[in-house]
Amino acid sequence: MPLLSARRLTKRFPGVVALDAVNFDLKAGEIHALCGENGAGKSTLIKLLAGIHPHGTYEGDLLVNDQPVTFRGIRDAETAGIAVITQEFALIDELSVAENIFLGRAPRRGWRVDWLEMHRRAAGLLADFGLAISPEAPIRTLGVGQKQLVEIVRAMDKRTRVLVLDEPTAALTEQEVSVLLDHLRRLRAQGTACIYISHKLDEVFALADRITVLRDGRSVTTLERNQTTIPEVIKQMVGREIADLFPRRPRVAVANESAISSLLDVQHLTVARSAGEPPLLHDLSFSVRPGEILGFGGLMGAGRTELMMHLFGAWGHRISGKVTLREQPYADASPRVSIARGLVLATEDRRRYGLVLEQPVGFNLSLSSLPACTRAPMRIDQEKEYVRNQHFFESLRIKAPGQHARAGGLSGGNQQKVVLGKALMTNPAVVMLDEPTRGIDVGAKLEVYELINRLTGEGRAVILVSSELPELMGMSDRIIMLAAGRIGGEFARGEFTPEKLLAAAMGRAAA
Amino acid sequence: MKSRQLLQNLAMPLALLAICAFFATRESAFLGPRNLTQLIVEFSITGTLALGMFMILLTGQIDLSVGSGVGLIGGIAAVLVFHHGWPAEAAMIVAFAAAIGLWCAMGALIVRQRIPSFIITLGGLLIFKGLFWLVIENSTVPVARGDADNLYSILTTYYLSKYVGLAVGLGVMALLFILAWGSRQARQAHGLPVTSTAKTAAIWLGATAAVLALVIVCNEFRGVPLSLLVLAGTAGAVYFLTRHTPFGRYLYAIGGNEEAAVLSGIAVNRVLIGVYALMGVTVALTGFMTTAYSGASTTTVGDLMELDAIAACVIGGTALRGGRGTVVGVIFGALIMTSLLNGMTLLAVSPEAKFIARGVVLTLAVWMDVKLGRR
Repeated sequence: MPLLSARRLTKRFPGVVALDAVNFDLKAGEIHALCGENGAGKSTLIKLLAGIHPHGTYEGDLLVNDQPVTFRGIRDAETAGIAVITQEFALIDELSVAENIFLGRAPRRGWRVDWLEMHRRAAGLLADFGLAISPEAPIRTLGVGQKQLVEIVRAMDKRTRVLVLDEPTAALTEQEVSVLLDHLRRLRAQGTACIYISHKLDEVFALADRITVLRDGRSVTTLERNQTTIPEVIKQMVGREIADLFPRRPRVAVANESAISSLLDVQHLTVARSAGEPPLLHDLSFSVRPGEILGFGGLMGAGRTELMMHLFGAWGHRISGKVTLREQPYADASPRVSIARGLVLATEDRRRYGLVLEQPVGFNLSLSSLPACTRAPMRIDQEKEYVRNQHFFESLRIKAPGQHARAGGLSGGNQQKVVLGKALMTNPAVVMLDEPTRGIDVGAKLEVYELINRLTGEGRAVILVSSELPELMGMSDRIIMLAAGRIGGEFARGEFTPEKLLAAAMGRAAA
Repeated sequence: MKSRQLLQNLAMPLALLAICAFFATRESAFLGPRNLTQLIVEFSITGTLALGMFMILLTGQIDLSVGSGVGLIGGIAAVLVFHHGWPAEAAMIVAFAAAIGLWCAMGALIVRQRIPSFIITLGGLLIFKGLFWLVIENSTVPVARGDADNLYSILTTYYLSKYVGLAVGLGVMALLFILAWGSRQARQAHGLPVTSTAKTAAIWLGATAAVLALVIVCNEFRGVPLSLLVLAGTAGAVYFLTRHTPFGRYLYAIGGNEEAAVLSGIAVNRVLIGVYALMGVTVALTGFMTTAYSGASTTTVGDLMELDAIAACVIGGTALRGGRGTVVGVIFGALIMTSLLNGMTLLAVSPEAKFIARGVVLTLAVWMDVKLGRR
């Protein structure tokens, strides 16, 4: 008897069928992975299970222990033992770990909060998970991985029988991932069922018992993990076979290679967060040439994002060093000047830094390049703008009803394409991409890689920041590993192996 | 979904109709030409200030100082005219410059020192009030010397003659037609989707009918008030700015996501100082009109006008957290706010009750904003 099941669930949004007669079963004590491309319906399905889309807004049945249930809201789902942990944490930064765990149900003595009891119980729960965190520590002092675990601790204390995790490892380091996976295996052994959503298929295969694949709002198939393979799952997800995951066409060296000057050249760059603080980036020197992809790797906190933001002019205080952009010295950077001079950055956190979510796709696409769409001194030529936008809208294959669609309503991969489009519409010479494929699906990734190839083919330089070694190795012409704000090693294509790169990332220069 | 959107679009016109119907049944003079003309002058004053506030709110900022500022700027011009015998034009230019300077300074403080606009403009509210009373020495300063009219004093008492009014109305109709037609042609030439001919025509007919009705009603009394032209000019300029210029786009972008705006290469600080400078311009215009409407600068001129302006914006669908709102909405909001105040004055509602009613309207408007803001 399944613990939780969905029978022919159909959910419509204006203009889209997000779920189309989806069937899904979750057995007690199993880890069940949901896989599918962006927009396949994974998030919608979870929102139905969690009561975020309440009963009556969808068709079909939801059953817990074979009994039909009608969730009116999140509370009802929680009462039924279903807890959802999303990428955006539901934790309050300024409150302590214990207060967050017992949020809304603090132990009381009379009408007062029983602080001693709360801290004692929180310490016990944290100890059960082997977490060396003080229950009195404010949440903001915790790392991403620890926050994730605190959320799980909180869910488990609410007698949760079904734990739903949406992309839990997107922001975790490898070590944090393995800790998380161990905890999930332990919970499974204790009988908790888990729905696990991840784009990282090696994690899915390391963890899940069964895998359900969604495609275009339909449940395509449910596979036993030990009877299937990663290529098989990918094939089901995209509905076709993908020949080459990383279609990099390596840069062709030309005859007078040394005569070609670099587009961006950085010498002895040392940067602190703000004036008077100790530096976080130390003595960095590198350069990128036209048509080249320079990869940047490193562990969390190595300073990759900070480096990109600093070069772009949006972060930090330069203590020393010299930056040369297209053969002109470039000091006092700001995003506005960078864009004007041909250096763009597509940011990692697209919802926070990339898009104006409540405005249409077209508004976002042209936002960085409006001066190029003006007529007279200051008037936007709306027809010209539309045509320019449409060119990128189509060539990036953004899946949306049109330019007028709200950017916030797009799936992650399509939002990423809008961010890329906005950057490319400024006609840049140097494109910095910070985790351009984070959280997007295989098909969309491939399109981003093809786009990068096109950019370098046009003689632009690309700086690619990625946490995924296969991607970094598959796409880069050269790789620099950062280790704690220093260059841990630089490798040309043909030299990289995962072992060498990881050693360099940990600050141990490979022998 | 469709019906809900329709209801949202019709909510303002319906509310306006309901308010007018209520006052008309209580006091038939409400819809008389004399009162309507007066209402239009008051609407011009509130509307002009609300349009400045609209641009501030779009960026997610706020300005609480405009009420005191209206008094101060009107007061400066009045003192220059009455006490110092300046020509009205010169006095108004100096007052304009003072307004733009003060608002640029506030904008610069907000963006450079990273002080929240709420605090800076709350300080401004008190400082401007004090300066205002200093400037007019706590007395009543007429806007004209002797009986001689000047540009300042006629701002709210000058009416276009019937034929000029009609000509202006027809001119506006023609202009709207040319703009709508031109944009359709341009879009079609580029092969872009256009709204159906019938819908475009219906919107144009509705707009021209409203303009003509306005002219005819005004002509029943003394003609189209000059102040309405000030409002129309301001509205046209703000509409053009917000809809057709990069500056306007940047207002929406900053209000929608300031961090993304910075990283998109927008000079956010410059845009914000610019929007406060524009607020200064509308404060000066409103200051002249409202002081002229009172006939003299006195200590109470401009009191609470910041709240009327904010209420007009919010009633008109402008989001307090920024990034959402339209000029047409603000115009409707100002009309609703003015009708309420005018109607209550006409019914001789006591000042106590008027304060309470204003407060309730403001609270309801913000409550609506919060409700609609949640998606």
